[in-house]
Amino acid sequence: SKKNEEDKMSNLVEEYFEAHSSSKVLTSDRTLQKLQKKRLNQQTLHDLLRKTPLAYADEIKRLNQQHENLFSKWILQLHLGFNIVLYGLGSKRDLLEKFRTSVLKDNVHLVVNGYFPSITVRSILNSITEEVLDHVGTFRSPPDQLEFIIKRFKEDSSLELYILIHNLDGQMLRGEKSQQILAQLSSLPNIYFIASVDHINAPLMWDQAKLSLYNWLWYETTTFSPYVEETSYENSFLVQQSGSLALSSLTHVLRSLTLNARGIFRLLAQYQLENKDNPSYPGLSFQDFYQQCREAFLVNSDLTLRAQLTEFRDHKLIRTKRGTDGVEYLLIPVDDSTLTDFLEKEDETV
Amino acid sequence: QQIQEELNKQLFDNLVSFLRQSHPDFQEKTTEWTRGMKSREIPTAALVLGVNVTDHNLTFRSLTDVLQNNITPYIAMLEAKNCAGIKNLMQKLMEQLMNCQIDEEPLEDEDYVQVSQKRIRCSMSSLVTWYESVTKKTDTGTPSKRASPSSKYGQYPPVVVVLKDMESFSTKVLQDFIVISSEHIHELPLVMVFGIATSPMMIHNVLPHSVSSLLCIELFQSLSCKEHLSTVIDKLLLTPQYPFKLGEKALQVLINIFLYHDFSVQNFIKGYQLCIVEHFYSQPLSVLCCQLADAKTRANALSHDQCENVRRLPSFRRYVESQVAEKQIALLTEDSCLKETVQELLQDLHIYHENYISALRCLHVFTSFLPKHPLGKQIRELHCTCLEDRVWETEEYESSLQLARMLNKSDLVTMLQQCVEIFVSSSGKQSDEIVEKLKEFLTQFQKLEAEAFQEPDVSISSPKELQKKTDLYHLQKTLLELKESKRSKKLTKFELLRFEVVDYIDSLVRKYLLPADHKTLHEVVYFNTASVLREHLNAAPRIALHTALNNPYCYLKNQALRSDGGSISNKAPDICIVYRLHLECGRLINLVDWLEAFTTVMMAAEGPNADAASSDQDDDVIHARFIRAVSELELLGFIKPSKQKTDHVARLTWGGC
Repeated sequence: SKKNEEDKMSNLVEEYFEAHSSSKVLTSDRTLQKLQKKRLNQQTLHDLLRKTPLAYADEIKRLNQQHENLFSKWILQLHLGFNIVLYGLGSKRDLLEKFRTSVLKDNVHLVVNGYFPSITVRSILNSITEEVLDHVGTFRSPPDQLEFIIKRFKEDSSLELYILIHNLDGQMLRGEKSQQILAQLSSLPNIYFIASVDHINAPLMWDQAKLSLYNWLWYETTTFSPYVEETSYENSFLVQQSGSLALSSLTHVLRSLTLNARGIFRLLAQYQLENKDNPSYPGLSFQDFYQQCREAFLVNSDLTLRAQLTEFRDHKLIRTKRGTDGVEYLLIPVDDSTLTDFLEKEDETV
Repeated sequence: QQIQEELNKQLFDNLVSFLRQSHPDFQEKTTEWTRGMKSREIPTAALVLGVNVTDHNLTFRSLTDVLQNNITPYIAMLEAKNCAGIKNLMQKLMEQLMNCQIDEEPLEDEDYVQVSQKRIRCSMSSLVTWYESVTKKTDTGTPSKRASPSSKYGQYPPVVVVLKDMESFSTKVLQDFIVISSEHIHELPLVMVFGIATSPMMIHNVLPHSVSSLLCIELFQSLSCKEHLSTVIDKLLLTPQYPFKLGEKALQVLINIFLYHDFSVQNFIKGYQLCIVEHFYSQPLSVLCCQLADAKTRANALSHDQCENVRRLPSFRRYVESQVAEKQIALLTEDSCLKETVQELLQDLHIYHENYISALRCLHVFTSFLPKHPLGKQIRELHCTCLEDRVWETEEYESSLQLARMLNKSDLVTMLQQCVEIFVSSSGKQSDEIVEKLKEFLTQFQKLEAEAFQEPDVSISSPKELQKKTDLYHLQKTLLELKESKRSKKLTKFELLRFEVVDYIDSLVRKYLLPADHKTLHEVVYFNTASVLREHLNAAPRIALHTALNNPYCYLKNQALRSDGGSISNKAPDICIVYRLHLECGRLINLVDWLEAFTTVMMAAEGPNADAASSDQDDDVIHARFIRAVSELELLGFIKPSKQKTDHVARLTWGGC
């Protein structure tokens, strides 16, 4: 069997190279545009899907029933210092909700929607300090906040907190720092974690140290239920994009740009935030912006800046508006809180 | 509840204390050395700790304890995750050093405490002000701080900085810190301790010559994690002290995870804990798994349901079948009779464990000496083979006995002595009725020893030859020659003795090393469900996804989903079909084609009754379902949108999975 395994292994390797051998890909050139069909938007999609009956409802229900039998075991294991992570195909949202409503009714618990694209670790920590610990006041950085939480929980052994995380591998939580903080949080004896993961590469997030902090017990909970909530944020290319940009898409687009382009966008964002209290602020005029970019050595000519701005416009990162005096004004069509979060994240990465 | 209490009892404290003990020499050395150090360079102790990062916390904690108790230093422990920049590092360092000092002298120096607390708060209050004062703080803050308490101690206690995870520090921060502190080494006697997970070469990779020349490094090696494991197993599994035991398969899984995955003793212990939890949760008779006296009282208080549970145990059934008819009836019907028998059986089991462990150690003494180690070098391997099946039926055991029959005298004597020691210690502990036998064996052993000692005087000629040849191979050859040529009477006496000993050991083994499965009521104390462990500790989410997508029948038991071999039924859930179609593509997938293929499959599934009128409506629905399935695949990480070509997605996996 060892030889067999080896064969399998080399097969896998060959398959990899086969898949990546030629840069040329043989696929047809048809595009969705030619399909002569209107693109569905989010709303109609939902309506359509709601109308179609769920296949194999009975079997899925039976599967869920099986998983629900484990609830009491989970509670015992959580109290013994383990944390629970669920994996398997299908949305585990309903299962966790059921767990929450049936078992955790009377306990303090916190639900984190990891698939939500604007969630940050800071917001998780904030809800712990503000709502669970009744602490008013802000902290300089997440690690400080974490330290405060750890201290409080160590002092007061009567505090108990259940944290349910849907999609621990969500876009915004997969970063190394977020995971580090969550891991430290989960290692506290009075905080109990139940999380679900979906991505196939989710375990890559954790190294030895984090794993030992998390102290996971894995449970396979294949539910086959559709990922309704989770994919509603996954801006699919088949769906018409709705207007406002989410933080995650913002960071993703920006990450693929050059350093200077990022600097330009940053400059504009900072300027907009400085003027956020001024209701009559029309945006930054192109000339002023050009001047500032020159001073920061981000562009060297009018043309390059224009080219850059065109690219931003294509990604719907900025909007231009002609003022009463005929001057072009630049605006970022994103709400201020998202922009603040974005700048903070940028600061961390730089 | 009761079960939970039992769980947490004993176990963890014992482990912690034990882990602490395992490092004493090592710590002793380090402390000695920190005390003695006084030099122009920064004295540095590099501790090579091995890759099991998770176990190091405990080591460091006990190290600080030891250092603190010997009143040498103030200790700050720095972790890489807190020290992204030199600024953070200094801040953390100050904070910890000040806290240390406050701990040390709680009420003696009120002013000082206030001052330092004020400083901490000030440093916390705003990053900017702190940043401006950082130079002041490092330059004047630390030396003065040192001056005040050191005057009280009379000497200059060094300040120890422990860098827990040397590898994860950014090199720049580390270099800067070393250079800065080397500037102040005269005012502030600093000692650094590096925790290194890989090898000492690391230091030279990270630090350039100019920086590493500022350090005066001494290496310390910690125990390897394998030794750690064997002591843990020794203390945890091979004592009669704990009633809970691990079965062979479960133990094997735990050891495999340790050896092939992480080398982490902590994870091993975690797995052990999980075993205990599982055992007490799932096995209704685990209430009987406790110390003998408790177990007996609990056995007496068994309810009727529990008695039924006992009767249902397979090992108990075997036991009943071996009894006479009247006894059988009594056991199966009367609870009181059953309770008595259970008590006896529990007692039996207890005695069996005690004997088992000493016999196991005894056998280990013999086999670990043998060349090539047919039964394994470590006692844990021997333990596993013994648990697995009757050890004397294995080939390895045969060959080791063969080898044991050729042992020379001095080895044999030392082994015998060791065995005697084992039995003395164990019989001292047991003090029960089983000692009798052991005592008898003991005297026999001693007699043997005495005779063995006299032997060389009596038979000078031939054993002398034997003594010269220490090598077993030669010994064997000479023995064979001797046998063939002439049978010396003295030699046979020795040989006889040796055979007697080996046979005796053999009988001992046969008597006591019965695998636990053959004992009645072994289910009460043994946990042997390896699949549970594997599932929860060493999960494979990708395989679960793969089977669910490839073969939904595994989970959804619907006859419509049943399919043979590679094909998939067209009635499968949408996502499975989309997944199946995507498997057939290369690196890039055209969405239009994909959608069309999906539509075709769907149409085929709906069959001929789909009339033309509603086809437009159907199209939309199928389109929507396709979108949902594709975005689910995207969420699962199988595909991602690609910019290489319009309306294409890139596949992130390859081959059949």
